[in-house]
Parts: sequence; structure tokens; C-alpha cells
Amino acid sequence: MSGTREGGWYPLMLSADLEPGTVAGSTVLGRDLAVRRDREGQAHVWDDRCPHRGMRLSLGFVREGALACLYHGWRFGADGRCVHIPAHPDLSPPGTIRAAPLRVAECHGLVWASVEEDGPLPEVDAVAWVPVRSLRIEAPWQDVARAVGVPDGHRAAVLDRDVEGRVLAALLPVREGACMLHLLAAASAGVERLHDLADWGQDVRARAEERAGQVFLAGVVA
Amino acid sequence: MSELVLHDDELDEDCYRVRLFLSLLGLEARRVAVDVVPGGEQDSPGFRAVSPAGLLPVLRIDGQMVCGAGGALLALAHGRPEWLPEARAAFARVAHWLQFAGGPLRATLLMRRACLFGGVGDEQSARRRAAVGALRIMEDHLAHRRLEGGTWFVGDGPTVADIALFPAAALCRDWGEEYSAYPALRRWVRAVRGLPGFVTMPGIPDYG
Ligand code: FES
Repeated sequence: MSGTREGGWYPLMLSADLEPGTVAGSTVLGRDLAVRRDREGQAHVWDDRCPHRGMRLSLGFVREGALACLYHGWRFGADGRCVHIPAHPDLSPPGTIRAAPLRVAECHGLVWASVEEDGPLPEVDAVAWVPVRSLRIEAPWQDVARAVGVPDGHRAAVLDRDVEGRVLAALLPVREGACMLHLLAAASAGVERLHDLADWGQDVRARAEERAGQVFLAGVVA
Repeated sequence: MSELVLHDDELDEDCYRVRLFLSLLGLEARRVAVDVVPGGEQDSPGFRAVSPAGLLPVLRIDGQMVCGAGGALLALAHGRPEWLPEARAAFARVAHWLQFAGGPLRATLLMRRACLFGGVGDEQSARRRAAVGALRIMEDHLAHRRLEGGTWFVGDGPTVADIALFPAAALCRDWGEEYSAYPALRRWVRAVRGLPGFVTMPGIPDYG
């Protein structure tokens, strides 16, 4: 994977999907991450393991500017250090109790995390991008990348698939055989165009999953 | 309105739909506990006399018994246009999602029961695919809604459709689906959680 131009940077989610004061989960190549945005708007990415007993931090919630673990309420500040242990409210926790932070960047309307060795962030035209949506696709990311026209070796690209305006597509490999496809449109797009792009994303998902032999059809079940 | 009575199983998500709606409406019901697991009380002659098909929950409202979550939600929403719009087109959209909640979305409830009580793991099965397919229909709808600035399934505010659909999304982790695959659902779950009067059930964390 390190052969890609983007180095170790992976597009986790649309910036718009991470509201201030919330935490969300994300998975990159099978590695679970907790992604949160503090009230000041800054995004933080940590391994999704509480230093206390290893429970998932992404299930927690933000309290007094810190991320609180759902299980025993330990709280972790911006740098990942533990700031509060409810069972010992008067104790100031030692600095060694610390969630493992990753490097984070936000650009082109996406939250990126540096998971492997550092490298340059993908270069994309610095126009304003508006979020369309993200889709989970049960198919290999390379196959989806090829299908939408992202050049080999890239995880994000501006597509020149049609004349109606530019589209930014970014792919997150979740695990083998599963990825997220993030779609954004050039800011000039109207609402109709955004709906069309969202529909197109669903179409991409259906075709890729059909190639991968994965079909998810709702219906009345017994 | 005469006394409300709810025949209710604390662990059942259909009963939770009605408890949640009652709480959002600021209404109190006298609760009669029905012991489904392990008691199997829904099949007892006593309960069948109340609910002939064994459906839970049962709501007694204005002296009438309504069996099943869909019916009970409708009975409670009746005459409250903010929860059940009167204009036919908006009413039709709510009806569409209520039907979905009582139909294809049942796959998620069956998956959850199979995982919690039947020892089913995370292997692929027709039922799991149908359940994922149903969640995706909700995800796709909300992704489109958001493009026009909408937060809720129908219209500008929460309706009884949101309440009928909510538990399936909020409880999907119980059968192995992660919120990270459903960003639009995740945002909407947060919005529902933020409604005044929101209550949880076992399996839906309470942030206290
Ligand atoms: S596992 Fe997080 S506080 Fe105990």
C-alpha cells in the first residue's frame, strides 16, 4: 500500500460528518480508529483502544472538552493524556496513561490520518469542495478506484468523468474486500447535481458489489 | 384521555419504540411487564386474551387495546400534526416509512435476536444481507435528505416515522454493524438522541 502517491495518508471521512464535540469510529486496513472533533473544531485521531481496559473509545462521548470512555468514564484530553478517573476524582492521572494519537490533517473537505510512514498529502485543486456523501462498499478499494477513474496508485483524485462539473473521489480501504467511497463536488454544483452524484455513488456501489459477488437486497423476511 | 396502559417487555425493541414515543410526548403509561425471555409469557392464555396474535407491545388508549408497535405509535400520534402530518403527501411519506419499519426493516430485529439469544455469529447469511440492505435504504434516504438540508426522514421536524425507525439503527452494533459504515444514520441517531424527553433501552448507551 505504501506504493501509493499519498504515502501514509488515508481519507477517513467527510469533514462535514464529524460534528464538533462528537466522536466517530473509522477503520483503516483493519486498524480501528477513534476520530473526534473538539469544541474548537480541531480533529483528533487515536487508536480506538482505551488505555484502561482496551474498550473502544469511539463509543464514548465528549465531556468538558475531553473524550470520555463509555465503560468506566476515564477522560482523555487533546494530546491523548488521561485527565480524569471517576473512581479517583482527586487523583491527577500520571502522564503515562495516554491514548495513542495519530497525525491528522483536514483538507479538500476530508479528515485525513497518517497511518503508515509520512508522505505528502494528496494534491488536489484547491477549490472549495462540498460534501456529497460517503458510501460503504463491500468490494476491494482498488476495484472501486478503477471503476470511478482514480488513477492507479492513488487514493484520491479529481475525476474528469463528465462535463457538468468536477468531482473529488477519495477511497478508504477498510479491510480486504471493503472500502468507503467519499464523494465531493465542486462548490458550483446545484442541489440537483448533488442528488445525481449521490445516485451515481449508489450505482457504483451496486456494480462493484455485484462484481465482488456481494448483493444486499432488502425485502420482507420471515 | 383515560389512563394509558402499556404491556411491555423491557428488552424488546418494539416495546421501546412505544416507550420512547410516550416519553417524547411527555405521557405516562402504567406498565405491565410481560416476561418474554425466558418466561415465554407472550404465548400464555392470559396474554393471548389481551393480544390474540401474541404481538408486543399492547397499548390501552381511550379504552381500546392496540397490539403491535406500528399500531400503538399511530394511535398515539393521532391528532398531533407535528408528529403525523395531515397534508396527504406528507402523511403518505410517513406511512411509507411506517410500512418499511414494520416490513423489510424487521430483518434487523431478527438478526439482533439471533445474535443475542440464538448464538448466531457474524457470518454472512440471507438474513444478514437483508438486514444490511434495509439499513442501507435508510442511509441512502438520509444522505439525500441532507443534500437539501433535511435532518429527519420526512419534513422539517421529527415525525412518528423517525421513532418507528430509530431502534433498528441505534441497536445495529448488537448484530455486528458498525456506525462507521453509515455516516448519515449516525448523524440522525445523534439528532434523535438530542430530542427533549429521549430515553434509552438496554443496548443503547446512556451518556448520563
Ligand atoms: S475501558 Fe475505558 S475507562 Fe475502562
